[in-house]
Amino acid sequence: MSLVFRLLKRSTGLLGHVAILAFLLITTGASAQIDQEVYDKGEKIFKANCAACHKPDKDMTGPAVKGATQRWEGKGDLHEWIRNSQGYIKSGNPYAKQVFEDHNKIIMPPQAVSNEDIDAILYYADNYAPAGAKPGTTAPAPETAAQPSSNWEWLLITGLLLLVVLLSLGGVRHQLSNAVREKQGLNPEPPLGTWGRIKRWAGRNKGWASVAVLLLVVWGSVLCWNFLFRIGVYGGDKAEHYKPSQPINYDHTLHAGADNLAINCQYCHSGAEKSRHAGIPSANVCMNCHQAVSEGPATGTAEIAKIYEATGWDPTTMTYSGPEKPIVWNKVHNLPDHVYFSHEQHVAVGKIECQECHGPVDTEMDQVQQWTPLTMAWCLDCHNTTEVTVAGSDNGYYKEIHRRLAETPMGQRELRKYLEDEKITVRELGGWECAKCHY
Amino acid sequence: MSSTKRYWQDLSEMDPAGPPAKAEEFNEPMPLDQVLADGSITGSTTSRRDFLKFLGFSVGAATLAACEAPVIKSIPYVNKPEEITPGVANWYASTYYDGEDFASVLVKTREGRPIHITGNHRFGINRDPRSGKGVVNARVNSSVLTLYDSERLPGPMQVTEGNFVQQAWADADKAIGEGLAKVSAAGKRTVILTSTVISPSIKAAIRVFKAKFNLNISDGDPSVNASVGGAVDHVQYDAVSYAGIASANLKSFGKWAFPSYDLTKADVVVGIGADFLSNWGSSTENTWQYAQRRKPELATESLPMSRHWQFEARMSLTGANSDRRVAVRVSQLPLVVMALHDAIAEGVGGSRISNAKLDESSAAAVAQCAKELLAAKGKSVVMCGVNDEGTQVLVNSINTMLSNYGNTVDIRNASPLFQGNDAAMAQLVKDLNDGTVGALLIHGTNPAYTLPNAEKFKTGVKKASLSVSFSSHADETASLCQWITPDHHWLESWGDHNPKAGVFALTQPTIRPLFDTRQWGESLLKWSGTDTDWRSFVQTVCKDTMPGSWDQHLHDGVYQGATEPTVEPLTFSADVADAATRASESAQGAGEWEVELYTSEALGSGLHANNPWLQELPDPITKATWDNYVCISPEDLSALTGKSFKELYIGQESPAQVLKVTVNGTSMELPALLSPGQAPRTIAIALGYGRGANGERVGRAACLRNPDGSPAPVGQNAYPWTTLRGNTVRYEALNATVEPTGGTYAVALTQTQMTGMDRGSIVKETSFTVWALNKPEETYNPPHTLAVHEDVNNDGKINALDRVPATSIDLWAEHPVAEVGHRWGMSIDLNSCIGCGACITACNSENNISVVGKDEVRRSREMHWLRIDRYYTSDTHEDTPGLSWAGKLASMERPSLSPSVLFIPMMCQHCDHAPCETVCPVAATTHSEEGLNMMTYNRCIGTRYCANNCPYKVRRFNWFNYLTEDFSQVNPAWDDLGRMVLNPDVVVRSRGVMEKCSLCVQRIQAGKLEAKKDGRPVRDGDIETACSSACGYGAIIFGDLNDEGSKVRAGRDDPRGYEMLEEVGTHPNVNYLVKVRNTSDDDNHHA
Repeated sequence: MSLVFRLLKRSTGLLGHVAILAFLLITTGASAQIDQEVYDKGEKIFKANCAACHKPDKDMTGPAVKGATQRWEGKGDLHEWIRNSQGYIKSGNPYAKQVFEDHNKIIMPPQAVSNEDIDAILYYADNYAPAGAKPGTTAPAPETAAQPSSNWEWLLITGLLLLVVLLSLGGVRHQLSNAVREKQGLNPEPPLGTWGRIKRWAGRNKGWASVAVLLLVVWGSVLCWNFLFRIGVYGGDKAEHYKPSQPINYDHTLHAGADNLAINCQYCHSGAEKSRHAGIPSANVCMNCHQAVSEGPATGTAEIAKIYEATGWDPTTMTYSGPEKPIVWNKVHNLPDHVYFSHEQHVAVGKIECQECHGPVDTEMDQVQQWTPLTMAWCLDCHNTTEVTVAGSDNGYYKEIHRRLAETPMGQRELRKYLEDEKITVRELGGWECAKCHY
Repeated sequence: MSSTKRYWQDLSEMDPAGPPAKAEEFNEPMPLDQVLADGSITGSTTSRRDFLKFLGFSVGAATLAACEAPVIKSIPYVNKPEEITPGVANWYASTYYDGEDFASVLVKTREGRPIHITGNHRFGINRDPRSGKGVVNARVNSSVLTLYDSERLPGPMQVTEGNFVQQAWADADKAIGEGLAKVSAAGKRTVILTSTVISPSIKAAIRVFKAKFNLNISDGDPSVNASVGGAVDHVQYDAVSYAGIASANLKSFGKWAFPSYDLTKADVVVGIGADFLSNWGSSTENTWQYAQRRKPELATESLPMSRHWQFEARMSLTGANSDRRVAVRVSQLPLVVMALHDAIAEGVGGSRISNAKLDESSAAAVAQCAKELLAAKGKSVVMCGVNDEGTQVLVNSINTMLSNYGNTVDIRNASPLFQGNDAAMAQLVKDLNDGTVGALLIHGTNPAYTLPNAEKFKTGVKKASLSVSFSSHADETASLCQWITPDHHWLESWGDHNPKAGVFALTQPTIRPLFDTRQWGESLLKWSGTDTDWRSFVQTVCKDTMPGSWDQHLHDGVYQGATEPTVEPLTFSADVADAATRASESAQGAGEWEVELYTSEALGSGLHANNPWLQELPDPITKATWDNYVCISPEDLSALTGKSFKELYIGQESPAQVLKVTVNGTSMELPALLSPGQAPRTIAIALGYGRGANGERVGRAACLRNPDGSPAPVGQNAYPWTTLRGNTVRYEALNATVEPTGGTYAVALTQTQMTGMDRGSIVKETSFTVWALNKPEETYNPPHTLAVHEDVNNDGKINALDRVPATSIDLWAEHPVAEVGHRWGMSIDLNSCIGCGACITACNSENNISVVGKDEVRRSREMHWLRIDRYYTSDTHEDTPGLSWAGKLASMERPSLSPSVLFIPMMCQHCDHAPCETVCPVAATTHSEEGLNMMTYNRCIGTRYCANNCPYKVRRFNWFNYLTEDFSQVNPAWDDLGRMVLNPDVVVRSRGVMEKCSLCVQRIQAGKLEAKKDGRPVRDGDIETACSSACGYGAIIFGDLNDEGSKVRAGRDDPRGYEMLEEVGTHPNVNYLVKVRNTSDDDNHHA
């Protein structure tokens, strides 16, 4: 159901709401026959314990789980077989032995699962519907919803309305004054046209006219300036963040989101703790899971097939047989070459959460975008406020730094200066120095 | 109202014809009429308005086009190798050996690319146990660059009449295999010509090859391989030969070998024309052993500071480091050996064998030297560089009389290096011309360039029915061969080495081969019909040589096996009298001018001429780059040219005088460089230059190209002047004529003839006696004082005697670095620094320093962050009587004819009160709280005020973007391949910014990060700068001055320590330790 909510969140337009509600009604109706609770429980246990070697509906390293109940009907104790297959073979069950030999004699390790768990797994497998048939996963929701208009568009419309009102009022006034003149026996004023009237007004009120022109110029410049500032990769709060398209529609919310797979960021970005680069995972890291998972909930096999193509994996023969083709990603977070940024320092030593700089990648970014400005001012701001535990730190490095500060006269003087705001910040330990990042 | 006043800049402007410059501004009238008369212009339909429209449109279009942000691609591995983490360097232990230099090294790789080489600090014969670092020289650590030379051959080449056609390996193997079989069938000889082979695997491969093509397997004594008439011969030939020593040892001890020296045991070291700290013998080993005995603090009763005598003609690096240097002409060197032999023989109760006539002062020096040697019997060593058997037998005799064998000299466990046999090579040239050699396979040597009779060799090669070279470049020799089957670069290779008795070392690849090359050992095996890959072959051979775990050996890079016990030295059994006759013969024939042919510190024999880092590495003594030249004594040059010393000054706009040197009827015109300390009437010319003169593609920087594409070799080849005398090649021409041509030639020097001028704040030197006896440091390391307007000495008067130490006066508030946080600094011991320059090339490699080429160096625009200043002493001193103040200053500028030489490594001093920081208008250079003077390239706008204000002149300005095509001939990082050597942790600077030594801040940051991650303080020695890690002798010590236990702090607090230009008050974080020479009064009298 979380997916549905996610989709709801994404499509803010009315049409989207309607479409999804309708869809929801239909699909929930269709899947009403199965016991969703048992199914979900089974799915959870299956993914945690079995999915590395089994698929619900297809043979993989191990046999398909679907239909196991029927296959084992009258041939032995399926529960015992699943819990401890080797032990069960030793007990002399001929069918167990046959299954073992049919599947290349790959040993399935004993599993700590209760009979209830096994039943849930089997229920899940038997009722397993491949991705696409599941609720809300046929295709990404069409993003046809109208975008909400921004403020200045409204202003423009109001302004135009005002102008129309003004112009019609002017017309009325003109008519009225002509009527008055007619009454006084004067000839009616020749019609001047809008521009002529503006000019006449300007000629009569030079001061106001200059103010108006000045305001117009200032307004124009501000518009221009703002427009220019929208050029670039980071739009701040006002414009789209940099969000390049990627060769694979990789969804971080699905992989890292707490509601979904909740894979730790560093499982894939393993460099973050040991290198300056967090790194884009190499395709072999993807294959750790995707050897088994060939279909995604949203995109089916299409996107995962791209990993297979890159690694040369043939899902039918389960071998790496094709040529390798590296995946060319579009880099999202770019720093200039003359900046040395180290993930290691910030993650392993500073213990900063990835999200502090990269934003809610795990919960909101189905496509990665640049969340923070990554400008030098932004870096320095953080360095200026972030506190470093120096006194009383467990880290021997900072202990030594503190000792040097505390035990010498000049150190004490410096320490007093540091502690004027009652904390030692990154800046005070040199975090604003040029050669900390530029060399 | 206009003024009628006129102003003029010079008198010529008053001339009604106008100043000549103005008149000549346009030599030819501008062809305005012609242009305007062109009908197509006046008839053009493009109006001014149209032009403006186009202009406007183009500007608009360009602006719009620029709005789109670039998309940066990122391509991760498909299968990431387990050991690679992008952004983290991997280090591999490996071994460098090129036939001349040997070093156990560590190779730093980033994402699979080798980018930096430093000495193996844990194992190897080049490791200094005292400093805990491995010695490498500039050629070793620069060799990473030649890996990325885009002129390397892309694969096997078939050469037909100068046309190079790349072939598949299978085709090459087939053709060569058939060729070899044909030669073998025809009963002709096959010769494998190599430089000295120390690899057991290669020797085994040659055995396999011989077994296939030869019936007569004799892989024995190289001294006899010339005479073996088998079908396959292995001839070893070294470009710079030690055959004189080897054959003398054959005579003396029955062993064709180069001895193994142990200078750590030598109290007295005597070098006679042997540049053993730079280019003679196992120099990576010699240097640390030597430096270990040169630190006065470590001197004890039993291990006193060593005493070093040097007799030589040219001022060599070794001579510059000596305690007592005696300049003698090259022809006199054998006589010095004879005189020394006589003196020693008398001392030990033997008899004189000759009556060598030396001039009075040399004779006195020899007598004194002999006295000191006799006093240190068994603890001394005499090394001689004259490649003459007779002379070397006498040297052996001297070392025998002094009981040095078994102590400082080991012939039983002789060095496996330097096996080259000149006589065998000469025989081979003869055989080639006689047509008895059917096939010639050449590896690691370039005889067409290095042989004295190269022309004969060239014609001979053509007569062989099969000629194959394993060279990586189509060099002088390879381009004569029919096939070039290129070998891997050593960084792509597997290999094993036996550099010293009982020591085995491994080379392992650190990158996948860049080109379609193959290791030459594997080629030999393939042609012998053995299909083994080279790695397995090496591994099999190593099972015998290196028992134990292969992985462990690969990890360490070195395996120490057993050696033959040295208790019983071999007995000396040569005819000394005969040797003396031959030695004196070799000194005969000296004419008015003698020429010494030497190998330079940077290029060596010329094998590495394609390395621009080495070409731009200034010679330690002359400070010249990108050329070879005539080293000549200033007096001689002055007499020859009739010019005063002042007129002979060489600078940006003052080119060098050209001399025409003629030897045996062939002449070369070379620029002359004043070389104080050069023996009179003896000139010296470096070998190793003039590569690729016939247009061979010898590598990028070895031979530049003129605009028309014709070759413009760097320097000239002096090898044709070497001569084969007896059975050894001699590197001196005793009868030459030298005459000035009157022409001039621009030489690129990084420093001119500078003397210390008694400025005690730059160069401080003392003698061991003064240092040892008068411990109060004021005597040898007096602080600089300044006069103050205050009666500080309480004599009632305020005058020049009222002085306070310079360090006590300060303009600025104290910088809060002392004892707070880190304070990075350096301490440089002038006693341990021998001036080799390995630190400079290490710095180049670590910090992506641009190579700028000769013309820019000439304009003092070299980019080196680290330089080694060389100072000569002058004869005049501050207290020399009888000279006016001005006269004294003038003559103090002139180096002594027999100067002592000092080397001072000079890099940014990271002053606490840095003059550069206060003048930067944009605060691009600022001070860190860790004591670093930081340079922020992206803030720099290039005013160069900082460089002007730097008293140490260590800042370097990027006058150009050196990564452009303009510098493509010299700058390695210009092309895609060369760029791979760049260190990704250091930014590449662009035009218009200042740069300088950062104390390797990238390594400091990395080291601190490691400590933080481990939760411990930074350990002393964990962080090394590129230079300090390259300095195997431990002259450069880097560390945290706030760490009380650190080595650098000890250097800072050493009584020998002083700050450069202390009186300026910059408070540098780098200090120097006073040079202490082991000199006596007697030496000073003679110097």
